[in-house]
Amino acid sequence: MIIQIEPQSDIPIYMQLTNQILEGIARGALRQGESLPSVRAFAADLGVNMHTVNKSYHELEKRGIIRIVPKSGAVIQSQEAIEKNNPHYQRIQQEMKTVIAEALVLGFKSEQIEELVASVTKELKGKPRLK
Amino acid sequence: MTLTIFAIIILFLAVMEAAIPYLVKRTVVFGVSIPEEYTKASELREYKKRYALIVFSVSMVVFISFLLWGMLASPAEEQLVLVCTAIPIAMILLSLACYVYFHAKTTQLKRQNRWGENLKQVRVTDLSVRSQDEMLPWYMYLLPMVVTLGVIGYTVLQYPTLPEQIPTHWGPNGQPDAFTAKSPISVISAPLILLVMQVMFLGINETTKRSGIKLSATRTEASRIRQLTLRKYTSWFMFLISLLLTMLFSFLQLSTIHEGLFGEGTMLIAPFIFLLVIFGGAIVYAVKVGRAGEKIGTESVEGIGDVDEDQYWKGGLFYFNKNDPSIFVEKRFGVGWTLNLANPKGYFIVLGPLAFILLFTYFV
Repeated sequence: MIIQIEPQSDIPIYMQLTNQILEGIARGALRQGESLPSVRAFAADLGVNMHTVNKSYHELEKRGIIRIVPKSGAVIQSQEAIEKNNPHYQRIQQEMKTVIAEALVLGFKSEQIEELVASVTKELKGKPRLK
Repeated sequence: MTLTIFAIIILFLAVMEAAIPYLVKRTVVFGVSIPEEYTKASELREYKKRYALIVFSVSMVVFISFLLWGMLASPAEEQLVLVCTAIPIAMILLSLACYVYFHAKTTQLKRQNRWGENLKQVRVTDLSVRSQDEMLPWYMYLLPMVVTLGVIGYTVLQYPTLPEQIPTHWGPNGQPDAFTAKSPISVISAPLILLVMQVMFLGINETTKRSGIKLSATRTEASRIRQLTLRKYTSWFMFLISLLLTMLFSFLQLSTIHEGLFGEGTMLIAPFIFLLVIFGGAIVYAVKVGRAGEKIGTESVEGIGDVDEDQYWKGGLFYFNKNDPSIFVEKRFGVGWTLNLANPKGYFIVLGPLAFILLFTYFV
């Protein structure tokens, strides 16, 4: 899977990495049990600081999505493991609340928001994009 | 014989130096990064052509006058060696001067035309690219070391029969012309130095493996092929050099242990073959890497470009990037690698063994 970051963007690089890995898993470009490169290799390939990659991996580990294996890299958790320790619902609810609130302030109708959620889900879950 | 060897070296150098602009990545011209869409600009082609022409024609004039001088004036051996050391240095300086000139011209051209200023700069990598890396595994580099240890062991066993004078230098005729007194250290100093070099090759292979596989956002496939080819052939070429050095050193060591084991002809021809194989290997390496991925056409990616790394390349030659954990990166002008000078580990890996060898030869 191709990872593309934009160093000059307002979004910090570690967040861009986290988001793209999440999206890759959601799309099925990255499978459960598959391993991600080691922090050093990933940072070297991308030409970014190792701390940046490390921060992104820790962020994903905190959310229970990957398991960091010292020295060799990180493994994407299985669906069961992700679901088992599940304090995620509240966090996702909170995060969506922020986005929905902003959408309402910007004048989105509730149907529009529902439509948007459905279309994004369909885009991610639909046909898996080729690697 | 000396004349032939040096003529080959000079010719080899002339062709390689002149060909560099055509062997480097298309998106880096004279050490300046050029966005994909402008790489075919007529000015750039003109610069490359002029560089190659100047370097090649001046080198040829030098080469021919050298040959004439060598054959007609029949200079003394010492004089010949002196001139032959000076000529390659002068040629490298000449191509460096041409490089500096065209580097400045290209920088100016890029700034005038504002190339790449409207592009969104991105960095890309492929999470699966590491699994396609074909560098040799580290244990392959242990094989020549085993041979060296064998040679050291054999020397120790044969110590009583060794001559009182141990050769330390061989002249152009293939016969030793400098000696040192026999001692337990002096007899194994040559294989020990070899061992240090073999460790250095192993270290370079491993740190290269850990260094980044840099992909381009606008030509992902082509850059992937180039990077993987560069890595694979570097590790093979370095292994070849390690093997050849092992053979040459073992050969010389055996000729010291058993005087007259090899005939005069063999002594004369062995270093010559060594040199030819290395040059042949270097040419294959440069051509294989230089052509890798060039057949792949332009991928149409609009509005984005690679992060402009010119700021990290001092003069387009020296890489200095604190954020990049890579120790080795692909050279911008030339085929091969250069150090990330912001990473102190690199100095240690390259200078450490050299310092050891120098200290060892001076104080032992």
